Amino acid sequence: MKRNPLTIAVGVVLVLIFALLLFCFQVRKGEVALVTTFGQPTRQVGPGAHLKWPWPIQKVYKFDQRIQTTESKFEQVQTADGFNLLVSVYVGWAITDPELFFGRFGDSLARAEESVVDLLRNTYSGVLGRHPFSDFVSTDETQLKLAQVEQEWLETVQAQIRTNNYGVDVKFIGLKRLGLPESVTEEVFKAMRKERQLQATAIESEGERQASDIRSAADALAASILANAEAEATRIRAQGESEAARSLAVFQQEPTLAQFILDLSAVEALLKERTTLVLDTQTEPLHLLRGAGDHTNAPATNAPALGPRP
Amino acid sequence: MRPPQPQGPPRPESSEDASAQALAEALRSSFLIVRVIMILLVAVFLFSGFFTVGPQEKALILRLGRPVAEDESALLGPGPHWAFPYPIDEPVHIPLGEVQTVTSTVGWWKTTPAQEAAGTEPPPGPTLKPDQDGYLLTGDGGIVHARATLRYRIAEPGLRYKFDFSAASNAVQHALDNALVWAAASSTVQITRDSTPFREKAAARLDQLIRQQKLGIVVDQLAVEVKPPRQLAADFDRVLQAEVQRNAALADAQQYANTTTNQALAQAHALLSLAQAERKNLVELLSAEAKRFSELLPEYRKNPGLFMALRRAEALQRLATNLAECIVVQEAGPGQQRQIWLQLSREPQKIKLPEPPKTEHVH
Repeated sequence: MKRNPLTIAVGVVLVLIFALLLFCFQVRKGEVALVTTFGQPTRQVGPGAHLKWPWPIQKVYKFDQRIQTTESKFEQVQTADGFNLLVSVYVGWAITDPELFFGRFGDSLARAEESVVDLLRNTYSGVLGRHPFSDFVSTDETQLKLAQVEQEWLETVQAQIRTNNYGVDVKFIGLKRLGLPESVTEEVFKAMRKERQLQATAIESEGERQASDIRSAADALAASILANAEAEATRIRAQGESEAARSLAVFQQEPTLAQFILDLSAVEALLKERTTLVLDTQTEPLHLLRGAGDHTNAPATNAPALGPRP
Repeated sequence: MRPPQPQGPPRPESSEDASAQALAEALRSSFLIVRVIMILLVAVFLFSGFFTVGPQEKALILRLGRPVAEDESALLGPGPHWAFPYPIDEPVHIPLGEVQTVTSTVGWWKTTPAQEAAGTEPPPGPTLKPDQDGYLLTGDGGIVHARATLRYRIAEPGLRYKFDFSAASNAVQHALDNALVWAAASSTVQITRDSTPFREKAAARLDQLIRQQKLGIVVDQLAVEVKPPRQLAADFDRVLQAEVQRNAALADAQQYANTTTNQALAQAHALLSLAQAERKNLVELLSAEAKRFSELLPEYRKNPGLFMALRRAEALQRLATNLAECIVVQEAGPGQQRQIWLQLSREPQKIKLPEPPKTEHVH
């Protein structure tokens, strides 16, 4: 049979592919690979294409190097000042040393996760027990030490993981939940209820006080407006009087006449409307009537101006 | 393939020849098929390198497991692209523009949207069970419920989000939970009334976590909802009512204040107007009198006594026309009878005098 060059090429390609599969492996970004030679870890490599001896000489284990997040159960701990607190945390961890990791957990992430959570649980009372309740909740932000608690926790867990040679590193720890034992929540409700009642009463009485303040301020303002107005009115009158006093200079030339004129004006003003005038005969010119009783005809003749009219 | 012809007894050479020929022919045609299949396979292999990037995402090519570049230049925008087929290249899609949502319910009671919509949530018990009821502790030792919805996008280039976390959305979820716990721990129960400061604190903490943990996301929107414990709903409502009442009382008082002040202002205005009028009258009156005085003065000086008598008489005369009635009483001298003259009204006084007026002398 004639040898076809194409057939040869195909053959070569196939052999090449087979060899590549046997001697090469690829590590994806986010992974790290551990190469074992006869079961012993000999080399670790990052992302890219790498060479290896085929099985059974060398074997490649790949590990996910991305950060895994795990959360712990909601567990009760006692704070430094004796309060019971329920806490759960989340932790972000990643494989940093595949060799150690492989020695401890093989290639099982799940087993590692379990161990991390166990280790975390053992540090609860050690870390949280050092802090009083006010470090966890406080309206005073200088007292609140959540950041410190999380940092201490992280350091403790990191140290323990290093001594235990897990081959992983904890990247971050954060509080996920804070709570109180069930029976305590009822007590908190009682306290909150009482607080609301106090608040409602305080608001009501404060409202009343403010309202009465507003009212009395308004009354005071009104009184002062009136007082000011009265003072101003008096001032205006006084001003009027002082302006009027300028006329006095004129009157000064002949006080008797002035008096007379003003009297006359006053009387005229007084008698402008329908008036009943009671005079005695001393009054000029009625003195003319005086002695009318002595002369029987006097009224008719002597007082034509003021006497009875027809 | 031709079947061997039955032409007499078959000779061994010719039968060998024929079978070899047949075999060769069979091989040739099967090679042809194999070749076609191979060409097809190569075509399919190369064609499988095409991929499409959607409008809300970008793509990154991993060549032999490594990104072709670590920065944004490696990102492929929306549209069709080609890469070497696996295992050489591997396109990884990163939903950069897509808004992702995570919801934190660590601080909320156990419920489902369906239950909530239908109002069939189980009624709250007297206590909060740690395994069922989520809640947050506030800085003043209280308990509130809060939940949050975070909408975020992956920050460019998105490599960290995609390759550094096994489940980045979980990490974001944890960060959001933590932000709520932190925000509540420094707040008071008052956040049930106004959740803005709580939201701001949570957002600040979330930002801090995003930076610290390098989550590689951009926050689009953080919405929070804070409620008092359902067990205390009535008590919280009472506080609200008290506030409503207080506001009503204050509004009343304000109204009273306005009325009182306005009345006082009106009264003051009246007082001032009156005073101004009086002042004007006084000044005008006196200046008129002064004018009259100046006019009369020369006359007066000629003969004061006569002038005054004339004036008085004239005035009396003028006045008399206006008088309703005039009573003149004479002082009783010794041995005299007292006399009174009355001038009764010229116009009839309706009640007293229905008849025309009369003058009479009373003794």
